[in-house]
Amino acid sequence: MKSSRKWGLNVRQVAASSEDTTRGRDGLKQHWLDHVRTWHVVLAAGSVAGLLLWMAGRAIGILETTALVLGIATAAGTAWIPDRVLRYLGPVLLGALLLAMLRPVWGTWVAATVAMIGLGVSYRYVAARVLRRITFMLPSLVLLIFVTTLLMYNAPGNPFAQERAATAQVEEALRAQYGVPKSAVEFFSVYIERLVVDGELGPSLKVRGRSVIDLLAPAFPVSMALGILALVLSVVIGLALGIRAGLKPNSAADHGSMLLALVGISLPNFVIGAGLMIVLALSWRILPVAGWGGYSHLLMPALTLALPYAAYIARLARSGTIEVMQQDFIRTARAKGLPGHAIILKHALKGILLPVVSFLGPAAAGIMTGSFVVETLFGIPGMGQWFVKGAINRDYSVVLGTAIIYTLLVTSFNLFVDLAYAWLDPRVRKQL
Amino acid sequence: MYKTLIGVLAALLFALALVGLSFSSSTQGRPDFRFVNGTEAASLDPHLLTGQPEGRLALAVFEGLTRTDAKTLMPAPGMAERWDVSEDQTEYVFHIRKNARWTDGTPVTAHDFAYSFERALSSSTGCEYAYILYMIRHAEAFNTYEGRALALLTTLPEVLAKLKDISGAEWQTFLSEHHVHDAAKGAPQAIVAEVLGLKSSGPTAAQRAAFSQALRTYGEQLSRAFRIAKERFGKSEGMYARGDHEFVVQLNAPTAYFLEIMAFYTALPVPRWVVEKAENANDWFIPGKLVSNGPFRIESWVVNDRVRLVKNEDYWGKDRVKLESVEALALENVTTALNLYVTGEVDWLPDLYPKDLVDELKTRPDFYKNPGWVTYFYRFNTERAPFKDRRVRQAINLAIDRQLLVGQVLRLGQLPAYQFVPPGVPGYPRPETQLGYDVPRAQALLAEAGYPGGAGIDEIGLLYNTDQSHKKIAEFVADQLRRNLGIRIKAYNQEWQSFLQTTRTMDFDMARAAWIGDYLDPNTFLDMWITNGGNNQTGFSSPKYDLLLRAGANIVTALANPAPLREAVHDKQRFDQLLAELAGAAAPARVEKLSQLRLLLLSEAERLLVHEEFPVLPVYFYVVSGLVREDVGGFYNQLELPDGSKAANVTDHHPLDEIFKKVGP
Repeated sequence: MKSSRKWGLNVRQVAASSEDTTRGRDGLKQHWLDHVRTWHVVLAAGSVAGLLLWMAGRAIGILETTALVLGIATAAGTAWIPDRVLRYLGPVLLGALLLAMLRPVWGTWVAATVAMIGLGVSYRYVAARVLRRITFMLPSLVLLIFVTTLLMYNAPGNPFAQERAATAQVEEALRAQYGVPKSAVEFFSVYIERLVVDGELGPSLKVRGRSVIDLLAPAFPVSMALGILALVLSVVIGLALGIRAGLKPNSAADHGSMLLALVGISLPNFVIGAGLMIVLALSWRILPVAGWGGYSHLLMPALTLALPYAAYIARLARSGTIEVMQQDFIRTARAKGLPGHAIILKHALKGILLPVVSFLGPAAAGIMTGSFVVETLFGIPGMGQWFVKGAINRDYSVVLGTAIIYTLLVTSFNLFVDLAYAWLDPRVRKQL
Repeated sequence: MYKTLIGVLAALLFALALVGLSFSSSTQGRPDFRFVNGTEAASLDPHLLTGQPEGRLALAVFEGLTRTDAKTLMPAPGMAERWDVSEDQTEYVFHIRKNARWTDGTPVTAHDFAYSFERALSSSTGCEYAYILYMIRHAEAFNTYEGRALALLTTLPEVLAKLKDISGAEWQTFLSEHHVHDAAKGAPQAIVAEVLGLKSSGPTAAQRAAFSQALRTYGEQLSRAFRIAKERFGKSEGMYARGDHEFVVQLNAPTAYFLEIMAFYTALPVPRWVVEKAENANDWFIPGKLVSNGPFRIESWVVNDRVRLVKNEDYWGKDRVKLESVEALALENVTTALNLYVTGEVDWLPDLYPKDLVDELKTRPDFYKNPGWVTYFYRFNTERAPFKDRRVRQAINLAIDRQLLVGQVLRLGQLPAYQFVPPGVPGYPRPETQLGYDVPRAQALLAEAGYPGGAGIDEIGLLYNTDQSHKKIAEFVADQLRRNLGIRIKAYNQEWQSFLQTTRTMDFDMARAAWIGDYLDPNTFLDMWITNGGNNQTGFSSPKYDLLLRAGANIVTALANPAPLREAVHDKQRFDQLLAELAGAAAPARVEKLSQLRLLLLSEAERLLVHEEFPVLPVYFYVVSGLVREDVGGFYNQLELPDGSKAANVTDHHPLDEIFKKVGP
């Protein structure tokens, strides 16, 4: 429908036209909605938006609000950039992102080399759809930093507040030393400058003498080891339970495994963890109760982390199995006399995996950035603690650092999931 | 073709390989001694420390002029092998050991201490505990006068000149926004106190002009004092090095706890050549960079996990140190901490166990407890109705059955608090108190104040920071007030940083607090209540109180003019008697008499809190408790004082350099 005509229609017609155009005015009484025109809605929405903007301006300042609107517009605007522009813009932004990410770890020259390679490869080989998502990442990261800064500055307290009142001079000395001005916008510009020019995430404001990298770099491998192990465990347990349940819906095996899954989803992990501790460490004494150092320290926390995910995967795999097993190609496979396990492992598995894979993307990002509960319960020096401690301490640079890393992980894992989808489903491959 | 299956299996195997790659199993063995240290140490820079976990580590790797003896917790020779004290007890000459070495082999000299004290007190360091050294001559001037003079002479007159007529509330906001109280602290002019105290209406134009003028005059005074301090402090007065091995410290007045402070972490020496290296800015204390002088060295430090210490073989007193290796675990979860203790992974668990398990744990032979040097209390907002009326504050103080609270809720033998300073200071006469549990009297007081049976009082908010144990106590207090006085009251909580902001801006009716004494002297509990003090946060203001506290801080100067002090004191007979004794005393006895007089004045100040004004509701005095394995020696819960008497270890401080593991049965 052309937009010029849309302006003339009333709201109900627009709504109705999408489902059934023949059922028009006939037989319908005059309703107040019939008098509402589209421009009324636009006007109302406009005023609400204006009011919201005005309130935001009052709450966080005109400058901040303008920057916020511009930021959102830029990030959203990447959806309309033509493919030809993307071919150049995407690789450049990817290169910039790689440079920014790798410089704190590997130094300027190595990072620049990798960034150049990334730039070239993506220009030559990567599809426009992927480039568009990469283009979206950079403005949204900047927006994220800005919004997080605003939120932190508007939360009560500040990183240098302690129970015992410090004098104004002490606070000023600390603010100057750590580069934390009193206004959010100033802090944002200091932070971005440091990020771009020095390639640093800044010093932690609470753990004095450590940079955010110092804190997160040793914690990340810990969370990654634990997270990946938990992910593997959850996929194995989840798929086994789910497929078993889905093969014979409504059987005792199905009810049993789904009950188990329900328990896994509903029990908070500090209960699961404490239960495991009581049995494995305190009663049987076969595993250390907490701590970090040896491989034996890995098992209990990984299991605790894995169980809720395993439960989700089991449910997804079950519904996937039920659906796939009713398909024609399975019947064909059966008809040709294939044994049960061959049917499942050769033909059905792909279909079962599809919903699981889409769940795995965000799950992987979440699980690898650690879990505060599991880490404090088992005394593990992982990433999860910094998400919570950073916020509690108002440690601005730690909060920003964790937010940036989490965002990068989520967006890249989502990208991986799309690629995995393409591998599993030819229809998706064409779209990419 | 099992293509999908192979793909999945390959992905899983690849993932497991990644686990193996990113996980590095550490092979360090069990140390001689391992303890739970609470939160991750935020720093190891002695001048930037505030917390107990950091303090334990700093005192293990550094040593001050004195160190704390484990058996008595009294100052013993540390980097200084001996010291001479002048007759009037205001000048100390410390003789630094000739065999004291930093871990890089450099000898420890008096210059290291001169540098370190100057660094602690320099305003650009941002040392929050700098005030603990203010008994040293010029120290306060050197630390704060420059910034305050700058504010008083330039920024404040400018903003004041732009100010129009405003309301009392706006005026107070203005004052706190520009830190005027801080800058004008101690100004002698009457107009300053008067204008600072305006609450019902803001100052008039004339008042503002006079105020501005007074601030300028005071600013010039401070500026002059700072110039003198800058010129002499660290060089010829206050504290300075006389040659490589003599360190001189001059005090404002005899200070009983001065040698104790010299063992405290703010007075620890730092290696200048390491601290000032450009690439070490902010992180000179991490392993690999750190150069220290104490009984232990840092071997490794895994953030959020553990700090591993090993014996320092270059330490002068290494024969005293029995432990070869020590691990301090950074662990905040009390359940996990207790689990580790129960399974034998740690040797000492100080206070970090679930308090719900007190009944089960307190019968264990390895459980210990001692009265603590901590007061748990609520602040009243004395600027809000109904707490403006001191009768209401007293009524509330009388309506709480503290005995029931400690007996039924806390259950660890805590002492109910009817005073503000916990017991335990030798020679301190505790003031008589009007606090207690007396419901009829409380009801009568409330009626007298115009709220019979609690009628006419709006719902009161009882604020605490989010925590299970605080919640229990708040619910108890609220219940008592509801039941005994008929007051409508609601306990509510806020997350820590919000809580800090709310209490600092005094946006509460009653708020929970606890205060840990920094040193064994009543002053550490009392100086927070001076008018507009940063930690006051009640609006309590009493000229008498301020006068007594100031006199306590510098007794010699104050006694030059005893008349106003005598006016402020309640027990005039005792005051006159001590004054007379002082006049007749010879030099060594004179110091003793001065100390007695000083403690009397502090006690009189505390009397104002618990007998007359009631700005706070003291609830109970802490008990420090913990678990320590029975094969740990050199760990004194009962101190054995040199005169043969016993005393409780109120600070739960256990120097690591004297701890050892008993061998055999």
